[in-house]
Amino acid sequence: MATMTLRTRSRVRFGLAAGAALTSVALIAGCSTNASNDTGEPSGTLRIVVSSADASDAAFKAINEAFEEKYPDVTVEFSPVPNDQAVAVIASRLSANNVDIVTMNVATIPDYVIGDVKSDEARGADAGVYLDLTDEPFMDNFTDSVLDVVAYNDQQLSVPLGLSYYTGAYYNKTMFEEMGLTLPTTWSEFVTLCETLEAAGISPLGIGGKDSWPAGLTMNAAVQGLYPTQEDKQDLARGLWSQDIKLTDDGPQEILDRVQQFYDFAQPNFAGVDYAAIPAGFANGEFAMTVDGTWNQPTIDAAVGDKFEYGYFPVPTSENADDNKFLGGKADLRLSVASGTKNKVTALAWLDFLTDPANYEAFAATAGFVPAEPDIPAGEFLDSIAVYTSTFSPAWDTQWTGNPNAGPNAGFPFNYPAIAPLGTSTPAEAAEIAEKDWAAGF
Amino acid sequence: MSSYYPFGRRAAMRGSFAAGMAVLVVFGIVPAVGVLAISFTNVRALPFLPVDWVGLDNYLAFFSPARLDYNLNAVRNTLIYSVTSTTITIALSLAIAVLLNQKLRGRTFARALVFLPTVLGVTVIGLIWTLIFNPSAGPAATVWAWFGADSAFFGDQRIALALVIFVQVWAGLGVSVVIFLAGLQAIPEELYEVASIDGASSWQKLRLVTIPMLAPSITANVLLGIVGSLQNYQLAYVLTGPNNAATQLLSLAIFSQGFGGSSAAGAGQSQGYAASISMIQFVIVGVISLAVLAYLRKREARL
Repeated sequence: MATMTLRTRSRVRFGLAAGAALTSVALIAGCSTNASNDTGEPSGTLRIVVSSADASDAAFKAINEAFEEKYPDVTVEFSPVPNDQAVAVIASRLSANNVDIVTMNVATIPDYVIGDVKSDEARGADAGVYLDLTDEPFMDNFTDSVLDVVAYNDQQLSVPLGLSYYTGAYYNKTMFEEMGLTLPTTWSEFVTLCETLEAAGISPLGIGGKDSWPAGLTMNAAVQGLYPTQEDKQDLARGLWSQDIKLTDDGPQEILDRVQQFYDFAQPNFAGVDYAAIPAGFANGEFAMTVDGTWNQPTIDAAVGDKFEYGYFPVPTSENADDNKFLGGKADLRLSVASGTKNKVTALAWLDFLTDPANYEAFAATAGFVPAEPDIPAGEFLDSIAVYTSTFSPAWDTQWTGNPNAGPNAGFPFNYPAIAPLGTSTPAEAAEIAEKDWAAGF
Repeated sequence: MSSYYPFGRRAAMRGSFAAGMAVLVVFGIVPAVGVLAISFTNVRALPFLPVDWVGLDNYLAFFSPARLDYNLNAVRNTLIYSVTSTTITIALSLAIAVLLNQKLRGRTFARALVFLPTVLGVTVIGLIWTLIFNPSAGPAATVWAWFGADSAFFGDQRIALALVIFVQVWAGLGVSVVIFLAGLQAIPEELYEVASIDGASSWQKLRLVTIPMLAPSITANVLLGIVGSLQNYQLAYVLTGPNNAATQLLSLAIFSQGFGGSSAAGAGQSQGYAASISMIQFVIVGVISLAVLAYLRKREARL
């Protein structure tokens, strides 16, 4: 009698245990199913993953709230991801096919690039990971010259939400006026300006060296002055790829020399300072200028507040003033639709909503981008730099295609991270290391 | 002759054990074998891309002249980091455990304090120490200024790795101390009494009674420390980012080259390449762990 009771109970227990284990495995494996929505009214969940930046995140949230008001059936799941993890997160979500709109960044590969060197995103574009938006009506909202820059093999795969310029520097206008300083237009004038500031006990430049890439902005600024037009930059890139130009030649070496001088003028121990701490340091007067991008203007504006007037000017890295006239930039924050999206109607409706000039104006103003649509009023700051952006000049990093088979020191390819104090080399040594790594890729 | 089994029918035990084993196999063994298979292909991160079998190309690429310097730097940093942090952690935690084993006032509070860093996550620890070592305004900068020096701390190539090791030791003390405390409390009091009768000093008691009796705990701690720190990159990533040559660790190189995010690791590698570095790291960790384990077991057996 007792045995029979025990047997039943333990069978039930065994059944429950097995059932619980199987259920938890199934839940962990996470099958989620969404009905596919290809036609009809926007509805359901819209999942968006973008690179994070304070200003653009705020702008997106405002758009999402307005969109959800317009279409009450829609829930927008907005996930901003820090810049250095964005590529990985987006790749994994695309593979799992649980995202609808992502940031992407791919340019047509120039013909002088040899070998199998496409980035993951370029391969993905070839394989149809991103939806073709060329014929979508909302693409007509954009300026033609911007669309030309972001086209991939004559297709429009992304919506360019704005332009950013980053070969210039924010400067403390009030401090300059008090000290009787004028904006430099040549490299010698810039050096003299910095030396004057140093003599007065002020750090001329602020760089967020700990994150490494802010120091790369000085390298971009150096190339912008020394190779001003797109043709100059393409010639340089072509020469490097065909190995006619070496990274130890005079031209590339001069770029690294400029970078070394930027480091010399930067604030003490800048190699340990976070990029996120730069706006506060600028606002506190720790340094007079900082090479940064126009994407950071809203943050700097918030930090500086009423303390002083600030402005933005192209850093003159050439001795020839004409070469220093224009800021280098890129089409920033480009959004694509995943081709496997289960909610195509809502995704396209959201893009249509965002790019509508009425909504886009507020978005670009909050996010700090130069508008990529024509006839959008640009705001006080952007008006002040309009003279430097009247011709769109693409910055070096948008023109350079790296070689994955080359060593890591030839990524940019100008080896700014190796120069002390970010690294342990002099500019000449850094150029040699980069040339060795570059040549090893062929 | 049946062994004592107190839980009633065996079917329930077998069932739940099998279910647990299934989870472990599905989420542990299968991905590990998968990584080995992937390391012979050029699979990339995005869907719909063609995948080809490339044989040993990825392994050869690891040793290629373009990447060898970078990878050897990573291996060297990893070994220095692992050996130094494990040694210091074990020595310090042994001392702390012996101290906390005495009957002191506030002993419970001190034990909780030592264990607290373990409860904090890596990101919180990284944030705390980044703020402390802020070169312009942090507490460490103030202390350095008392000695008339200033430093870029994590930005300074010469001391970045040492600082990361320091934070790792701080974070890892808790678990080691707990393991040693458990081991210390298992040592019979009589041994110390006998040693006192024989006229042993405290130092001799420590060397000749405590440490030999603690051998299993030392084995556990050394193994946990070495295997953990050989694969550990989270602190280095949070404190110094993936682009700092002085703190480049092998697992960080795997993460950067497999998942992007590091401008210095080289453009667009395939995840097959990252998998091959994983396998190389597995071999390094495996060889070192087995060697250490064999040595420590021999020392244990000698007792």
